[in-house]
Amino acid sequence: MSNLQKSDPPLITRTAVAPRALPIFRHAGSGLRRLCRMAAVTVTPLVLFALFLLLVGVRPFEIYVAMLRSSFGDAYGFGEVIVKSTPILLTALATALPARAGLINVGGEGQLAIGALFTAAGAVYWISEWPGWAGIPVLAVVGAFGGAMWAAIAAALKQYGGMNETITTLLMNYVALYTVGYFVHGALKDPASFNWPFSPSISDSLRLPVVAGTRIHIGIPIALFFATMAWWLLSRTRFGFHLRAVGGNPVAAELAGLPVTRLQIGVLIAAGALAGLAGMIEITGIEGRLRPTTGATYGYLGFLAAWMARNDPLRCVGTAFLIGAITVAGNALEISSGLPASSMHILLSIVLLAILASGRRERA
Amino acid sequence: MIGELLTGAIRSGTSVLYASAGELIAERAGVINLGTEGAMVAGALGGFAVTVWTGNPWLGALGGGICGALLSSVHALLVVWRGANQLASGLTVMFFGLGLTAFFGRSFVSASVEGFNPVAIPGLSNLPWIGPILFRHDPLTYLSYILVPAVWFVLSRTRLGIVLRATGEREEVVFSQGFSPRLIRTFAVITGGFLAGVGGVQLSVAFTHAWVEGMTAGRGIVAAALVIFAAWKPFRCMAGAYLFGCAQSLQLVLQSRGADVSPFLLFMLPYVLTLAVLFLVERRRQSRIPEELGRVFSGPGGG
Repeated sequence: MSNLQKSDPPLITRTAVAPRALPIFRHAGSGLRRLCRMAAVTVTPLVLFALFLLLVGVRPFEIYVAMLRSSFGDAYGFGEVIVKSTPILLTALATALPARAGLINVGGEGQLAIGALFTAAGAVYWISEWPGWAGIPVLAVVGAFGGAMWAAIAAALKQYGGMNETITTLLMNYVALYTVGYFVHGALKDPASFNWPFSPSISDSLRLPVVAGTRIHIGIPIALFFATMAWWLLSRTRFGFHLRAVGGNPVAAELAGLPVTRLQIGVLIAAGALAGLAGMIEITGIEGRLRPTTGATYGYLGFLAAWMARNDPLRCVGTAFLIGAITVAGNALEISSGLPASSMHILLSIVLLAILASGRRERA
Repeated sequence: MIGELLTGAIRSGTSVLYASAGELIAERAGVINLGTEGAMVAGALGGFAVTVWTGNPWLGALGGGICGALLSSVHALLVVWRGANQLASGLTVMFFGLGLTAFFGRSFVSASVEGFNPVAIPGLSNLPWIGPILFRHDPLTYLSYILVPAVWFVLSRTRLGIVLRATGEREEVVFSQGFSPRLIRTFAVITGGFLAGVGGVQLSVAFTHAWVEGMTAGRGIVAAALVIFAAWKPFRCMAGAYLFGCAQSLQLVLQSRGADVSPFLLFMLPYVLTLAVLFLVERRRQSRIPEELGRVFSGPGGG
């Protein structure tokens, strides 16, 4: 690796000249100080967003109350929050795992879309007659494979072309979007759709079982299972330790004999599989057919969730839930008070900007 | 057909050219700014809005540039002064820009502007073959012909350029000479944001004459990728931007001729092409990345 020579000599002068705090001191503040800081990071974005709302002529307090009410006020709203959080949690894990190995995967969006495409294609053309107990697991594998394959392209470009995965995964998102468009307008289009671009609906036996009366489906425990697995993998296994070593200092990891490239490629492909699974869950759990917009923005929301959680899988559960709640509230506000759903994206970015401004992320 | 294609390449490549010239300045100072996408879309809306209000596209270009600069200053603040991860911060600024423009752009969706229109340069535009390709464009395109040599000149032939490049290579050298690397980086990022904003204006006020939510469609990301493809050299940026524009105009040319190709394959072509040329260039050689920037890419998740 070329960075072997690069970071050799200047390290000493760097710490001497450029005054950056050493990591040891950065989080050594007392518990109280940390608490104050956490409070500041939580409150500042809310205040900034309130100012923004005032500026555009809406009363912030009413909006916040309405947001809380629409997400947590009744069983339906709460169910919707859970349903929205599920794909966000999976795409958040798809960002968090590679991030721990020093990779930034912004391709959740595209990996989810391709996972959904594979799932829909498989369910419509291949196993449409299968019973659920056999078909659903097969579709899960198919969807995960689709996402993994999409991530594998970025991984291959990194391995053989030395291309940065942040840029490739971002560009691949646009390619994925048009790939899905190509199929729902072409080979996968429902012949009975009167020219609307969507696939035929998948058979009922292949839909995920739901809790009666809600849209809550078994995708949720699956996502939680993967979050726990990711946590366990990272913090309790040798593999996870290696990943964190690669993320912490790739040069040291390489000198210690770890297969750095192989680990990074593996984790990127695994991340793609998680995002692809999110696409499968969207198709079989919620939508029932592929549309050009299936799962849109979930990839980016997952990215935000992961960075809010400082790439910790268990904290991702909390942040994915929070972002799910904000999304549901945003949709409700769009109907009730005419505040467009995009305002929630503004709120979410302000939250993440505050977190980024609050200092460097902690590292395990 | 070739002439039509190349004219289209310049028409749709110019916005990317502005953005990648801006991104190049920032990256030469050691900061990668994926928020270029956000700066572009902010510029596209800001410039469009100012043009609608004042009727003057030049004020629009200025306004759009300022919007881009403002958004990029968020990135500069986080990255340079708060030590945030450059890639994550850039992406967040990109989401921020997309969210803000989606919010404020609603009332402009159906608006239309006179904007910039193609002006044929007397004499030059009558040159055989290259005249129609190069000299029948909007004023912002002509400005970009001057911009690229200007960026090259400033970066490689002036004191400011040397200090800026030194900041991207060895910040402690700049520091020991009594300059503040942080101030220089901030300046570079904000200048880059201004140019990306102007690129957005070219898109909305000169190219499409309309505002559409998320209309930059990844051009800012492409611009960042093209800087790598260009090995941090301004003139190669120009080539890259026109290559992207060429792929875009191929779509229009083929469609206007009724060719039987799925539009979706043509839509994805510019992105695939960008990935492909980047792959070929990176494979052929280890490109000369500014050293401080190399640390962002190879360090632990950047930063």
